[in-house]
Amino acid sequence: MTSIGTGYDLSNSVFSPDGRNFQVEYAVKAVENGATSIGIKCDDGVVFAVEKIVTSKLLVPKRNVKIQGIDRHIGCVYSGLIPDGRHFVNRGREEASNFKKLYSNAIPIPAFADRIGQYVQAHTLYNSVRPFGVTAIFGGIDENGPHLYMLEPSGTYWGYKGAATGKGRQTAKAELEKVIDQNSEGFSARDAVKQAAKIIYMAHEDNKEKDFELEISWCSKSETNGLHKFVEGELFDEAVEYAKKEIAGDEDSDSDNAMSSDDEDAGPDVATTTETPATEGNADRDGDIEIE
Amino acid sequence: MFRNNYDGDTVTFSPTGRLFQVEYALEAIKQGSVTVGLRSSKYAVLVALKRNADELSSFQKKIIKCDEHLGLALAGLAPDARVLSNYLRQQCNYSDMVFNRKLSVEKAGHLLCDKAQKNTQSYGGRPYGVGLLIVGYDKSGPHLLEFQPSGNTLELYGSAIGARSQGAKTYLERVLDKFVEIEDAEELIKTGVEALKQSLKDETLSTDNLSIAIVGEDIPFTMYEGDNVAKYL
Amino acid sequence: MNHDPFSWGRPSDETYGAYNNEIAHAPSFPKMNTQQPIVTGTSVISMKYNNGVIIAADNLGSYGSLLRFTDIERLIPVGKNTIVGISGDISDMQHIEHLLEEIETENQYDNSFADNEESLQPSYVFEYLANVMYSRRSKMNPLWNALIVAGVEDNKPFLRYVNLLGVTYSSPTLATGFGAHLAVPLLRRVIDREEDIAKTDLQTAKTTILEAMKVLYYRDARSSRKFSLAIIDNDQGLIFEKDLQVEKMAWNFAKDIRGYGTQKV
Repeated sequence: MTSIGTGYDLSNSVFSPDGRNFQVEYAVKAVENGATSIGIKCDDGVVFAVEKIVTSKLLVPKRNVKIQGIDRHIGCVYSGLIPDGRHFVNRGREEASNFKKLYSNAIPIPAFADRIGQYVQAHTLYNSVRPFGVTAIFGGIDENGPHLYMLEPSGTYWGYKGAATGKGRQTAKAELEKVIDQNSEGFSARDAVKQAAKIIYMAHEDNKEKDFELEISWCSKSETNGLHKFVEGELFDEAVEYAKKEIAGDEDSDSDNAMSSDDEDAGPDVATTTETPATEGNADRDGDIEIE
Repeated sequence: MFRNNYDGDTVTFSPTGRLFQVEYALEAIKQGSVTVGLRSSKYAVLVALKRNADELSSFQKKIIKCDEHLGLALAGLAPDARVLSNYLRQQCNYSDMVFNRKLSVEKAGHLLCDKAQKNTQSYGGRPYGVGLLIVGYDKSGPHLLEFQPSGNTLELYGSAIGARSQGAKTYLERVLDKFVEIEDAEELIKTGVEALKQSLKDETLSTDNLSIAIVGEDIPFTMYEGDNVAKYL
Repeated sequence: MNHDPFSWGRPSDETYGAYNNEIAHAPSFPKMNTQQPIVTGTSVISMKYNNGVIIAADNLGSYGSLLRFTDIERLIPVGKNTIVGISGDISDMQHIEHLLEEIETENQYDNSFADNEESLQPSYVFEYLANVMYSRRSKMNPLWNALIVAGVEDNKPFLRYVNLLGVTYSSPTLATGFGAHLAVPLLRRVIDREEDIAKTDLQTAKTTILEAMKVLYYRDARSSRKFSLAIIDNDQGLIFEKDLQVEKMAWNFAKDIRGYGTQKV
């Protein structure tokens, strides 16, 4: 961040001499401090999960829902500035609705990703707007099977088997890789729900002092008839129970392996390897713009 | 000398991903007088402290009715609150006339959130400089929302915004388990007034400066002012 | 002088030439919108009973007097407890179907209570459609339909009508088109006034509707034997019966009818 103060980072749509758009990079910073969100692709669908930090005991439990539906077959979760995420989803809904009006078919998810990607990219082109302060994970199931995408403030998007963003992304990514590796033949939506719960619980470990609520949704051919729905009731409780059990097991093995790090309260090792050490500490302290 | 270059407008992120203009707008709320909101399983209540510019002037209105089942209290720039409450009134009317349906409190919150967000992502405007506590009673019961200029809208059992609001908030947190169970409207209002008192400094509550509103299963959005608040002092 | 402008007359063509439409940038011919329906669906009939409503419509799409399409579904479910029955122009009906799908999708957006307290109710759907129909007729570009919205709301049956003029009304028995003339008197034999609803059970109501569908098939030359029927019951919810047929008909009399068609004698 040596270029801070050179003036090239004060306006969106301006390149620095070495070809960077700083405002987009700063938008990514807003995302990196947001609550952890993940998405997993399974055999016949996708699962979304998000950590909701409880900032006050006056908040009504289970309300203040974060995951949103874009069309009936597309779900979306994001980390960063929540109101920006709502703007993103509103645009997504327009895109999906217009497609349906024109073609009388639900929008194929890759086509959707392309359109919404262009919209987000357009917000990096002009100095009259700022980039989106969210990284969104979205997907669902269409006639070509399940799709999962992650879209960044720059407008870049990639397809994923498992995607993670927000504060706990490092831990979540490591765990996603492990889980997907272990289930290389694929796995059922119900299994994916359990794994998603576990991963959010693990990602929260580094942020343990804060209370949180878990939210999970899915979109599966066999379980939800291809519609995006919230995971509730027994299955949800089951997933949470599984997650808690796994965490408890993990903690034991952690303290066995690295006894010395205990009193430091540094959390699992992965957390200390987060990228961008220069500003991370700073951002942790002040970056709390969103009230979650 | 150090100068913050990242706070000139709403379209510039700081190097840590913050939006200073939006954060400053949040500060504007704290310039306003305190207002408290709380809800039980039957009612939602607003209690607000009104201020006057000087001895001879009237008191600034703090509570605005939007529909028979919906209303809000403000802290911060009152004209901004009027813009937002007019918008909610329009949306309530639209829902009523086009769908024969009361606007749900949840949807009202989302509409405000989306409207406020626009002001934070494009050049030329400013974020709203007002915080709102929205109460309403719809098919799913009573609700209380807190709205902020950043576009965040949260559903809470109780909240307080404005100058020294932390006192009221702490009080509400302490008596949370009790007031969510309250079935009597009068009692809930009293809890609200008590919370408000925790945020007073030089002021004393009087029939002039206290504003109360309630909405619930058997009562449409009703405001109490002047002599009607005497019994809660 | 006579100050009434109407008695002043207008500039005569001999003196001033013909009126120049260009002056007001007006087209030489008035703009015209839909003047008539093209492919049409015939009657929708419906009635309340003591625990809900029944609604039925056949599956025919007529192109004038040509029975052109035989598998048109004209009962549209919206949410869990509403059916919209549509007669009139089929392409306009398909447009209305899109509108209904859209409001249903939009109701799902960020609605924590979409499946329960804040689900779409028949009266919401009706109010919306009535507004659509009225605003279209006010633009002189009507959707050429008559609609019946049937459902259960707050445990009570809901039944209401709106047409291309934006006219709305309610009654314990309702029918559109030919059915309004032919079926309603039959339905009213069973339910004549509000009080009769409570005395009518599902079985009676269903028999009555089936009977009315039969009479309509006999006498409405733009009707088909195949039809759909939907019941929205307060306890059982939506029961949608498709591919029903008018049964137990007697056509023996037909051979004795004289005066139509190609008979010589």
